[in-house]
Amino acid sequence: MTDFAIEATGLVKRYGNARTGKTALAGLDLAVPHGQVFGFLGPNGAGKTTMIRLLLDLIRPTSGSLRILGADPRDSTKTRGRIGYLAGDFRIDGRQTGHEALTYLGELRGGVPAARITELAERLDLDLSRRIGTLSKGNRQKIGVVQAFMHTPELLVLDEPTSGLDPFLQQRFVEMVQEAGGNGQTVFMSSHVLSEVQQTCRRVGIIREGELVTVADVERLRQSAHRTIEIAFASKIDISVFDRLPGLQNVAVTATADGGSVLRAILTGSPDPLLKATARFEATSLLAEEPELEEIFFTFYEHGPHGTGPHGTGPHGTGPHGTGPHGTGTKGQAS
Amino acid sequence: MNSTVLRKYLTDSRRAFLGWALSITAVAAMYSSMWPVMGGNSGLATAIDSFPKALRDAFHLQDYGTVAGYFGSTVFGLLVPILLAVFAVSAGARAIAGDEEAGTLDLVLAHPVGRVQLAVSRWLAVLAAILLAGAVLLLVELAIRVPAGFTDLGMANLAAMVLQLVLFGCCFASIAFGIGAWTGRRTYAIVGGAYLTVVAYLCDSFLPQINGLHWTQYFSPFHWYLGGEPLVNGVQWTHCALLAGVGLAFAAIGIHGFSRRDIAQGGWRG
Repeated sequence: MTDFAIEATGLVKRYGNARTGKTALAGLDLAVPHGQVFGFLGPNGAGKTTMIRLLLDLIRPTSGSLRILGADPRDSTKTRGRIGYLAGDFRIDGRQTGHEALTYLGELRGGVPAARITELAERLDLDLSRRIGTLSKGNRQKIGVVQAFMHTPELLVLDEPTSGLDPFLQQRFVEMVQEAGGNGQTVFMSSHVLSEVQQTCRRVGIIREGELVTVADVERLRQSAHRTIEIAFASKIDISVFDRLPGLQNVAVTATADGGSVLRAILTGSPDPLLKATARFEATSLLAEEPELEEIFFTFYEHGPHGTGPHGTGPHGTGPHGTGPHGTGTKGQAS
Repeated sequence: MNSTVLRKYLTDSRRAFLGWALSITAVAAMYSSMWPVMGGNSGLATAIDSFPKALRDAFHLQDYGTVAGYFGSTVFGLLVPILLAVFAVSAGARAIAGDEEAGTLDLVLAHPVGRVQLAVSRWLAVLAAILLAGAVLLLVELAIRVPAGFTDLGMANLAAMVLQLVLFGCCFASIAFGIGAWTGRRTYAIVGGAYLTVVAYLCDSFLPQINGLHWTQYFSPFHWYLGGEPLVNGVQWTHCALLAGVGLAFAAIGIHGFSRRDIAQGGWRG
């Protein structure tokens, strides 16, 4: 028995034959400890779904080893009973009602109390008596959420789980993942939605072109990213006040028609010096744009191991053991 | 085998399965009830008896004047087995490959159900559906036996015929199922199943009329189904074994391949 819920070593997955084949995972090393809510980020085509389908034994690795809850996915029919899986484009036969579908899936797991299914359905405002074929995409996805959570699995494997859910339900979903984390359940979640990752995951792994680039603390990752800042002032301001502030780049001041001015800049790291400088003037509006996840990747890849990327030691003293974003064989070991 | 999977598959497909069973039975019943008009000593039977022998052989029109000959050529000769083969091939292709292409197989396989377990359960569900169609057909035939005046046809022989019909259907269902399980492609399963159905039919009907190709019929599931004339001679156990054997071989090889390969992601997602 290992300490890790998920442990991959030198995991390689190639699709197709040698000539036309495509490498989806090129030697991935990853370890996710029990009880951690772990985010798995990367651009489209980076290999996130491949990794998740390997975990569920839907596909088999070309080489390397993979353990899930201490077992090889290949011979872990029983282990899958301890896992809950949800795909972003959850697909299910539309000829049945939600109730029938969930009862069936519960039976495959050896039975899930009807009360538990009803409770989750009510929480998500899901009508179980309707045929799934007549439901909207969002409501179908809710069925997926219920089936993944209903047996309170030790490990939740979620592949871009909130796609198709409206913001209200995304929030509900985030709460459910937080609760699962609070219960000590392990969560492995791939995502594109930054806010969702920030609210749920403590650690994230970033994957690119089939390799794990690093494992980092979510807050550090976010803080290290650029933010676009736009501040409007009631009067004209002097650019020299701002253009030497630490963490501020591309500073530009433009005058407005009503005698005011607008400052535009890119902020990295703490906003404190900027706010203190701004306090000397009368500010009429302030806009700090959250970076898109893609921008975070960009920031991350721009800066090497010596840059401002999230390579420092994490707040808990055991930061990523990575050798840098372009290093191979990075053993991302979350604390 | 997982009885939950089997039961669920039958429940989900009940409309399609019942629809096929009833429509195949309706066709058989329609032909059967025409026996007093078209068979026996009717003018049609006499006319057909004067057709060239090769033509009669090719269309299974031998002994049109006897009840067994009439049933062998009309009811069980072409339309019913072909309809059953169509049903069998489409159901067999759907069981794994159709589900996989729709992307709905991932969900079940993410549960504590083994691949072999799932495939065997689905395969048995398809076979059960064909057995159901055969049972409905037999019951209806037995029910109309007296009113339609074909009591000369023994119940045991009628049952033997339906048994071989069911095995014939199971054989083609297993062929399509096996191809689908091996490849994950519904089109391959349907085309493969349909192609073999046509080839089997030609090998039993037209090719044997060509000098030197008489032997082809011995390799045809159509011959194994009807060639021994179960309506006259009762159950032909060798033929039954051949039908079952070919079906089992395709299913077993397909399930073996299915347990080893990657499951396709299905749908549009890249």
